[in-house]
Amino acid sequence: MAITVVTVRRPEDDVSYLRATLKGMALTFGHLFRKKVTMQYPEQKSDDTWEISTRWRGTHRMLTDEQGRAKCVACGLCPQVCPANCIKLVPGEDEEGNRYPLIYEIDEFRCVFCGYCQEVCPEEAIHVGVHYENAEYERERFVYDLERLCAQTHPVSTLWDPSDPKGE
Amino acid sequence: MADQALVTLTIEGVEVSVPKGTTILEAAKQAGVLIPHYCYHPGLPIAGVCRMCLIEVEGTPKLQIGCATEVAQGQVVKVFGDEALKARESVLEFLLINHPLDCPICDQAGECELQNYVFQEGRSNTRYAEYAKRFSPVEDFGADVLYVPNRCILCTRCVRFMEHVAEEPVLNVSERGDRAFIGIHPDATLDHEWAGNVVDLCPVGSLISKDFLHKARAWELDRTPSVCTGCSQGCNINLDTRSDVVVRIRPRPNPEVNRHFICDTGRMHYRWMNRGDRIEAPLISRGGELQATDWDHALSEAARLVSGSGGRAVVLISPNASNEAMFLAKRLVAQFTATLAFRVERVDGEIPLSGVPGLALRAERAANVAGATALGYRDDFDAAVQAIEGASLVIVVADDLEGVSREALQKAVNAVYIGTILPDAARGAALVLPVANTAEEDGTLVNRDGRVQRYLQAKSAPGMARPVWWVLGEVLKELGRGESLFSADEAFALMAEAEGSFRGLSYANLGMHGRTMSEARVSV
Repeated sequence: MAITVVTVRRPEDDVSYLRATLKGMALTFGHLFRKKVTMQYPEQKSDDTWEISTRWRGTHRMLTDEQGRAKCVACGLCPQVCPANCIKLVPGEDEEGNRYPLIYEIDEFRCVFCGYCQEVCPEEAIHVGVHYENAEYERERFVYDLERLCAQTHPVSTLWDPSDPKGE
Repeated sequence: MADQALVTLTIEGVEVSVPKGTTILEAAKQAGVLIPHYCYHPGLPIAGVCRMCLIEVEGTPKLQIGCATEVAQGQVVKVFGDEALKARESVLEFLLINHPLDCPICDQAGECELQNYVFQEGRSNTRYAEYAKRFSPVEDFGADVLYVPNRCILCTRCVRFMEHVAEEPVLNVSERGDRAFIGIHPDATLDHEWAGNVVDLCPVGSLISKDFLHKARAWELDRTPSVCTGCSQGCNINLDTRSDVVVRIRPRPNPEVNRHFICDTGRMHYRWMNRGDRIEAPLISRGGELQATDWDHALSEAARLVSGSGGRAVVLISPNASNEAMFLAKRLVAQFTATLAFRVERVDGEIPLSGVPGLALRAERAANVAGATALGYRDDFDAAVQAIEGASLVIVVADDLEGVSREALQKAVNAVYIGTILPDAARGAALVLPVANTAEEDGTLVNRDGRVQRYLQAKSAPGMARPVWWVLGEVLKELGRGESLFSADEAFALMAEAEGSFRGLSYANLGMHGRTMSEARVSV
């Protein structure tokens, strides 16, 4: 079967790219004078215009009591509930004979940031933090010990409340 | 049993027939219903003080306590009726008025009956939010026991145990009403040999073990049925392990041996299971020095050492070794004129638990003396040590070789030491084979009543250590005198075939409560 070639002739105005290009350029240049939407991270960090959610689940923080001691009583629920098995806890006693963690370590590399540890904690001691800058030079530094967890100062997550899904 | 009059009753729609005189609570267990209870314990006299087991019995105007009400023909019992549930909820509410909410730091959490029943039947909220809870400081009852009065629900199990089972009544309920607490005689401590059982009996975290304090949470523990090696009584125990470390021993009920109890010596007899200084690889003597090797070399060397025949052989075995180990060691030296011996530590006097006939911490501090004797081993260690000189083969299994010199073993050219740790004298052996300890292997022991009892592996053996039955089975295979053994019950089956005392027994028919050798003979 022979091939039939049909040549279509269109008006000059329709095939010229010049107009479309100019139109596109106009749009692009127009954006230069509009309000910027990109945040210049890391030079610029969260401000009034953009804030990290209070429900964000980042690296952990251990809250302390009035004397600056960890609130943790080493009950063992967080290592139990942890789906990533990233919490190491060895219970012991403090000077007054109270139950207290001798070793409390969280491997932030293994952590999946589910927030279960915060949810299960009966003493409201361990929290996931509203925090996202965790860079380190060594892998070992990602195992946070009790001292480091207590020294964190960033705000803590409010988690998601099913009875108040929008956080109001 | 068969001629005992049976009573048929209905519990929660399930019909059960039980002997006359049984309590409703026990009958309900047979119907598969657990009636919540605190003060009742099958090993103690009935008190009926906790009121937790209130149930409805059709035809009676008021609720009855299941623990002290005897069954009657045609009774219809409702355990989860509205009225009973409401009553038990109220009982729990009363118990919680002063009970602290310190479950996160309480050692009992996870195995606490108050936790369980409140979760099951209690109120989800409190009506005493404004009420300040009573507080009393923790008291040291002496020995291994701490008393936390705040958590006490006054079930009086501990009081009844000390009074009727230990028969040393040093505990009582002091004060009255809501001020009541468990008091101890001012001049006494809880240092009775069997006093540690009050910790197990306590349904809440009120009486706690100092040894176990803050050590582990109940839900982290794995429980393995085992048999205590502390003395020849052979109490049934559970080894509670947490990531391959034995952290405590608790009694495992066996009506024929120890009922529900173990002594404090047995309770603390676990640290040796976690020893760190273990032999982790087979060691072979090269120029008078022991050097690590692999199992292939070690086994062929063992076979070479054992391959001779004629002459004399000496087997020194620990009286805590399993029957399987003793039997295979005996089979290994069958071609020789063998001296089979063990030694056993004996102390003065037994410490009985007065309320349970036939239960005591025995003077003979080894678990398998009866098994060793049945297999032809003699309690004549010194003569066996004398016999080492000039013997063509010496096999030592798990004995610490105290009083035996290194030179004695060096002189005996073919000396094999099979053990968990390396005593100095064992360095004179031509070959050292690392084996698992009692917590790390399956096996059987025979107690002083001839009861053959199984124990199971609770933790893994360190390094290349293997169970004794496996090691000896492989040596026999190298010698062409048997097949590889894949499990301890295969070793046991070989023994049941060859040894008259064990005939008719197998792991399957031993169960976890064991059987006596005489029972087995009757049934064959």
